Amino acid sequence: MKNPAIIGKSIPRMDAPAKVTGRALYADDLKMPAMLYGKILRSPLAHALIKRIDVSRAKALPGVKDVITGADIPQVKYGNWRLVPQSQDELALAVDKVRFVGDEVAAVCAIDADTAQHAIELIEVEYEELPLILSVEEATAEGAGLIHDESKGNVSLVRKIDYGDLEEMFAKADYIREDTFKVHPVQHAYLEPCSCVAHSEEANRVTLWTSTQTPYIVQCLLASTLGLPENNVRVMKVQVGGGFGGKMELRPWEFCASFMAMRTGRPVKFTLTRADELAFGRRRHPMSIYSKVGFTKDGKLLAKDFQVMLDGGAYNAMGPTATFLCGTFGNMLYNYPAYRYFGRHVYTNKPPASAMRGFGAPQAAFVAETQMNMAADDLGIDPIDLRIKNAMQTGDVIPDVATISSCGFKECLEKVREISGWDAKRKDPKPGKGLGIGCFSFISGGVFNWFNTKYNFSAAEVSVYEDGTAQLATMACDIGQGPDTAMRQILAAELGIPIENIRLIAMDTATTPKADLGTWGSRVTLMNGNAVIDAARKIKEMLIPVLFEEMDLNQIHDIGFEDGRVFVKANPKKGLTFGECVYKALRGRRGEPLTARGFYTPRNKGLVSPAFSFGAQVAEVDVDTGTGLIKVEKMYTAHDCGMPINKMAVEGQLEGAIQMGLGYALMENLIMDDKGRTLNTTFLDYKMPTAEDMPPGESADVYTYEPEGPYGAKEAGEGLAIPTAPAITHAVHQATGYRCMETPITPEKVLRALNKIK
Amino acid sequence: MAKQNIELIVNGDRYEVAVEPNRMLVDVLREDLGLTGTKIGCAQGDCGACTVIMDGVSISSCLTLAVEAHQRDLTTIEGLATSPQELHPIQESFVQHGAVQCGYCTPGMVMSAKHLLDNNPKPSEQEIRQGLSGNLCRCTGYNKIVEAIGAAAGKMASSAKEG
Amino acid sequence: MAMPEFQVHQPKTVEDVLDLLGRHRSSVKLLCGGTDLLIKMRAGAQTPEHLVSLNRVAGLKTISYAGGDGLVIGGAARISQVGKTAEVRRLYPGLAHACSVMATVQIRNMGTVAGNLVNAAPSADTAAPLLAYGASLVAVERGGRRQIKLVDFFTGPGLTVLEPGEMVEAIRVPDVSPRSGSCYLRLSARSKVDIAAVGVAGFLNLDLEGKVIRCRLALGSVAPTPLRCPEAEQILEGQTPDEKLIAQAAAACVRASRPIDDLRATAAYRRAMVQVLAQRVLTQSLDMAKGGTP
Repeated sequence: MKNPAIIGKSIPRMDAPAKVTGRALYADDLKMPAMLYGKILRSPLAHALIKRIDVSRAKALPGVKDVITGADIPQVKYGNWRLVPQSQDELALAVDKVRFVGDEVAAVCAIDADTAQHAIELIEVEYEELPLILSVEEATAEGAGLIHDESKGNVSLVRKIDYGDLEEMFAKADYIREDTFKVHPVQHAYLEPCSCVAHSEEANRVTLWTSTQTPYIVQCLLASTLGLPENNVRVMKVQVGGGFGGKMELRPWEFCASFMAMRTGRPVKFTLTRADELAFGRRRHPMSIYSKVGFTKDGKLLAKDFQVMLDGGAYNAMGPTATFLCGTFGNMLYNYPAYRYFGRHVYTNKPPASAMRGFGAPQAAFVAETQMNMAADDLGIDPIDLRIKNAMQTGDVIPDVATISSCGFKECLEKVREISGWDAKRKDPKPGKGLGIGCFSFISGGVFNWFNTKYNFSAAEVSVYEDGTAQLATMACDIGQGPDTAMRQILAAELGIPIENIRLIAMDTATTPKADLGTWGSRVTLMNGNAVIDAARKIKEMLIPVLFEEMDLNQIHDIGFEDGRVFVKANPKKGLTFGECVYKALRGRRGEPLTARGFYTPRNKGLVSPAFSFGAQVAEVDVDTGTGLIKVEKMYTAHDCGMPINKMAVEGQLEGAIQMGLGYALMENLIMDDKGRTLNTTFLDYKMPTAEDMPPGESADVYTYEPEGPYGAKEAGEGLAIPTAPAITHAVHQATGYRCMETPITPEKVLRALNKIK
Repeated sequence: MAKQNIELIVNGDRYEVAVEPNRMLVDVLREDLGLTGTKIGCAQGDCGACTVIMDGVSISSCLTLAVEAHQRDLTTIEGLATSPQELHPIQESFVQHGAVQCGYCTPGMVMSAKHLLDNNPKPSEQEIRQGLSGNLCRCTGYNKIVEAIGAAAGKMASSAKEG
Repeated sequence: MAMPEFQVHQPKTVEDVLDLLGRHRSSVKLLCGGTDLLIKMRAGAQTPEHLVSLNRVAGLKTISYAGGDGLVIGGAARISQVGKTAEVRRLYPGLAHACSVMATVQIRNMGTVAGNLVNAAPSADTAAPLLAYGASLVAVERGGRRQIKLVDFFTGPGLTVLEPGEMVEAIRVPDVSPRSGSCYLRLSARSKVDIAAVGVAGFLNLDLEGKVIRCRLALGSVAPTPLRCPEAEQILEGQTPDEKLIAQAAAACVRASRPIDDLRATAAYRRAMVQVLAQRVLTQSLDMAKGGTP
């Protein structure tokens, strides 16, 4: 299918000029008259009863305008899984009990940040310590204390998948392997620490500017926790300095800012520090994973038994979704005649884990792909051949999950074999060097309506004007991934007008159509893109009659929209400029503007996602066997993201994903002591890769046309964060014989495996 | 704490401000002068988001006392473009090469790039990467930033020749 | 933590610096780069009531080299300036390397070599190479000046023999004789924005027959202070080094180390790395010394 010229082009981001000049405004850049500065008092203990809180000295400090504790706020628990109310387990400020080091206990606002900080230090809290639970094994052990009284055995949620006859298939298998893996926690490490400003201009109404990926979710949950109608809460756009899943819930500071803004009548700002983020912020789930796979001797997959305990930390956060997706991605990519998944989301006294670029998929795929490589070695089959033999393809059905509507996985495997020089390099191995493969698939937005929204999943409103311009209003949010540009590309393609002529209003819950579930699960391009197309086509339906009337056209004619013109396709010279056409259409509408709304909700698309991306990646490493240091020399990637909307943006997603995957495999880790305190709370010790650590890359695009996607597009970016860690793990094994089954790979682990450290 | 009167020369403009001696330059730039282009990513000198140029060298403004910047020559991200229509070549190159995603590291990256090119107009790729080693980015994987700086260097060199 | 309150003094001469140090003796710190001090102050680990800035003192930033006399690094000379100085790169490559890879570009532009030493972190990157080059510090106070050998300078993490009221005016590094070689290697999981998990610096000077006249080896991050390894040095001095002797000297370096387990590495890994890095440092230094030009 031929797409309009603007689709697939590398268009510079429309927000980039503001960002390179420092004009772009982020939440912490906002300053309002009479604004107060908020600070949060956090628990120093991981598990304790709150016996007494005395805020009197804090309240008495000159300049302090409000001090609140759990006793002051409505006792309405929140959580993203509104569909399952018992999963909503959080209060903005702790009541009676703290469950992790950093649990929010009290909040203060004052005339300046130093005064607020001083006031926090004056609050006295008396705790009674409770036994700590710091691992899923301890949490689920018989007789373990409960972190939440409502949970059974500290398990907050269970997900089971079971299809095919597992016993029979394992009985048939010639080769079976069972392994256990542990994966470690890492953090989003978006560069912008969380920040928000709340302002209440009218009683019982509040406006919040916040660094979020999900304005609609924040609006709804803020309303319920404040005890207000949703319509009384407005969440507004600011630039968001990265999210990666870490900014997709209602957060305590958003609540506290809003609550205190209403109480004081003054705007209130909260901004977190990097130490807050690293020590107390959301993170990717650590997991304990058992996996058993069975193959025929010629490498045909027969069955998998996949059992996962997710270390969810103290609250559910987005853990339920991670528990679901971990199961879904335990068996993606390949055809398993029988598959059983048993996933348990477990409470521990740690900072809550949540969504992070892949929600459970990176962990599941790390295990699945590593086991695939182990099996390939044992079966004596080339790892790429083994994958091709079992690879999913278009039309495959995953029971209870989805039908794969487009899949370029096999082509990706072939391509990555070619560009990486796989066959030649494997034939001639060099000491200390290794080549490894990892693959991925990911969703293009979720189908399962855990937020229980009453509205469409995505919506867009398009207005067109007689000057030839258009306005696009949508709740969808750009957190750096680029929809502010991509959505305008789609609208420009539909209406045939220059992209510069489109003004965008985004991420304002009061003025943009309801709703958009936000930026997560790689959903925006497909879902909001479809909503934009829907709105644009409704606009076109309003414009087309103008031409028929003006030109007295036979009804067999079709009308085109290109180059700022609306014209007869059979005779393109016949037509009007876009603006003239709008002008004439308006004259027939007695003053009613030309505005249309479009919507998208996936229907009849299974339980998981309307479309899946696929890809394969090869890592080439050089290991210094004296020091154990690993240098990733090159990354080769072939990926199927459907038809890209903005090629440069897709490349940027790939390169950024490699940085995150490389960090996950080799450097990044949140290190905790036996009291549940995070020890590395600076970017000095939370080691994410720098420009010097990044390997060169080579990539090949495998284009498929996704029928459900706008112009054939589907997910790009989130899935790409999945394959890097398993690919590097495999490459390190090829180079040294060390197979990492407990991440991350460290130089020391390599040397221990080589018996160079006893 | 007694405030101290200081004079900051930022992007050629003189500002007289009274500041407490314990305030950091980044906070005074952002809060007192309203120059919020300079960002705070870590406040520990690890991430580079607060990079500004003082007397010709790049520094972390989160680890510089405002009083120490008294009468020194400061350039911030707001001082590079001559007008919104006329970006500095490094800025223009960042836009054109897709070096900007969330944008939060961008001002610091651009300032580090400026410091690098001021001192080394024709850097190799490795030198560009070394020059950015004090600036963390979580979105781009750095490659497009490195490309953008390389391209800007080329452009600035050829326009210098013409000029 | 909110930043504690303090007063900042910005004198223009060394005499005024010393006066201020004396006057506020009970609660004063020198400020130059501030890249370590201000972080500690914000964490509440240091709470001086007075900071005396060296940033407006004339003449303290000079870096000079003279054949025979060696290298003199002013007390306020920036790490990046030292790393860029041609003589440092040519004659003191271990120091030049430390000054070009530690911390970040911005921190190197702000921080000073003297500050890196006075801060006395066990991992201070310039300490190991300066120990290997046999450096001394010139410390001044009101009415006095003394030279302190760097090897005698550190007394514990964050602790030195510097008296309150004293400041480091300069660092003196002896000249490098012909047939010398030296090098500094550090390890960390990430290339930059990092603290070395292990650092080893070495210096060798050979006679015409290739025997070691002088050897200095120094370690960072493997003990409460950066330290020299006299036992290892003696193994090599007077000998013609070969692979076996180098391995023995490296093993002596391991014996000199007293590493701990921390966030960045375990003690076991650090010990193993002292062996590996010391061998590499000695091999590279030897090659350089044999090459005739340091």
